[in-house]
Amino acid sequence: MSEPTNNSTDWSSSLAFLTLRAWLGVRSLVTGIEKFSGTRTVQQPLLDAAGNPDSSGAVVEVQQKFYSLSAYQAIPESMRDKFSQEPFMPAFLTTPFYAVLGWVLIVLGITVLLGVCTRVSLFAMGLLYVGLTVGLILIKQDAGIAWLAIHVVMIAYALTLEKHNRFAITRS
Amino acid sequence: MTSPVPSGDLVGLERRKFLKTTAAAGLTMALASPGTIWGQTAKPAGGVAANDTLNLALVGLGAQGRILMEAILAIPGVRIVAICDIWEYARTYGQRFLKKNGFEVRAYENHQDMLAKEKELHAAIVATADFWHAPVTNDCLKAGLHVYCEKMMSNTIAGARSMVETMKQTGKLLQIGHQRRSNPRYIVARDRLLREAKMLGRITAANAQWNRAVSDDLGWPAKTAMTKEQLNRYGFDNMHEYRNWRWFKKYGGGPLSDLGAHQIDIFNWFFDAEPTTVIGNGGKDYYSTHEWLDNAMVIYEYRLPEGVARAFYQVQTTTSAGGGYYEQFMGVHGTLKMSENPKYTSLFREAAAPSWDQWIKRNFIAAPKAAPKADDDNAGGSAVVDARETAALASYVLPIVLNKKIHQPHLENFFNAMRGKGKLNCPADEAFKSEMVVFKAIEAVEQKKLVTFTPQDFAV
Repeated sequence: MSEPTNNSTDWSSSLAFLTLRAWLGVRSLVTGIEKFSGTRTVQQPLLDAAGNPDSSGAVVEVQQKFYSLSAYQAIPESMRDKFSQEPFMPAFLTTPFYAVLGWVLIVLGITVLLGVCTRVSLFAMGLLYVGLTVGLILIKQDAGIAWLAIHVVMIAYALTLEKHNRFAITRS
Repeated sequence: MTSPVPSGDLVGLERRKFLKTTAAAGLTMALASPGTIWGQTAKPAGGVAANDTLNLALVGLGAQGRILMEAILAIPGVRIVAICDIWEYARTYGQRFLKKNGFEVRAYENHQDMLAKEKELHAAIVATADFWHAPVTNDCLKAGLHVYCEKMMSNTIAGARSMVETMKQTGKLLQIGHQRRSNPRYIVARDRLLREAKMLGRITAANAQWNRAVSDDLGWPAKTAMTKEQLNRYGFDNMHEYRNWRWFKKYGGGPLSDLGAHQIDIFNWFFDAEPTTVIGNGGKDYYSTHEWLDNAMVIYEYRLPEGVARAFYQVQTTTSAGGGYYEQFMGVHGTLKMSENPKYTSLFREAAAPSWDQWIKRNFIAAPKAAPKADDDNAGGSAVVDARETAALASYVLPIVLNKKIHQPHLENFFNAMRGKGKLNCPADEAFKSEMVVFKAIEAVEQKKLVTFTPQDFAV
């Protein structure tokens, strides 16, 4: 059994980092895009088994997902209401945070995915998740805190692997 | 709100003379007709071409008449050209309302005058007090008009039966206002959910209710009151009874007829059967100014091909409106709770029932809201779920919507049938069966006994 060469170890580490980078990038990018999604109710004819309009002339309401700048919602309304009652979360802080959250997630997702200023981007992503954790701690959402903690651990691990960064647009 | 034709000896001669004329006219038209069209296809026997604008008379401008009037205004290709009501106040309201909506109509106190003078009518919409339904409808049919008549068909079995007979004799269309039968939400529930998908499995029970909050009797502006002579001419004893006719035996059938008829009709329609027995209880326990019972509970027994099903119905007018109004069908695989009001409508699937996923894909139903957790029932921490209690079920949604006024589809079905497009959804002979079931329920409640139906009860 032969020892792995340094070169092959480097490639394994690079592929591990690439996988981690891809996951964190996609996670952030899609989460950001989803904040611009909404659901609308549309009406359409009820169809029979053959795909023709039902003989009753019935109209059915179905939910359709759509994406739009106007549909932007940083966090669910119910959570927003809870945050608004927290003394440590004044409006002058939360309002701008809500306004940029979706965009920041998208930008960080893209930069991590493409490898643009990877180290800085990962660190910024980590800080963002820490910020989100603060809010969840205040409203006692323990499951959400644990969920974010997993992300933060992954980012920390990614930062330790960052020296194996390849296939990146810019060097860290 | 009420009707138009004088009753009693005073007008008997005029009435007989009129009936002779109209009967002759009706016979002529019937002979000229290509065939009998009641309850069946709609050949335009009344001289109605597919694209004709239909000229309508609205007889009765009370609460129900006004609802129908508003629904008619939303339907293209029809116009109200004449209105008829014994109360000048109601006639004035109708004329002004229609004028605001672009229709100049002629107003009549007496429907016989109207039929004698209006020669361009295609149909009459009858929304008088129940006891005038049969005389007015029969006269209109005999005058060659198709008729849409509100339920109940009559306050007597004989009156209702006479309407079916006249419909058959004249060959004219007679639609009865059980409007749920044209509501696409009900049609899909019956034809798709229950029959095609058989989502409930064997249906073993049904129940329906209409709880209505206590309310004051209707009044009237003092200066608009009709004279006693005028009221008597049209069969009413006084203004209070005229305005609140639904509560008096001489004019209507009380809550079981007024509210219950719509929902008891759904039992028959969904089961596609008539009951074999009915037992009931109820009474006049609250209102001192009414004749009719103000609360009633009845149980029907249906012998269906798959087995016996029982249907419980209650109408309460002395409670809060808690629980609203709905018709619920319960089978071995699930429960369908239907209501004209979508907020009371839902479906519940038993855990062991066949999957409903395919019906979600077909848009028959929409995905469920989550079933309540057992903990939800124990919010206070003291309640204990009984070991025999079935776990709470997920509530599915009926996604079918009605984008029209609630009576509009039934009126459209009537007008389409007049134009030869389709059949009536509730022809009088079909409605008669449901109304017989209501008449017998009233009998069961009043006599507090089990009443058995015979085939002869439903025959005309």
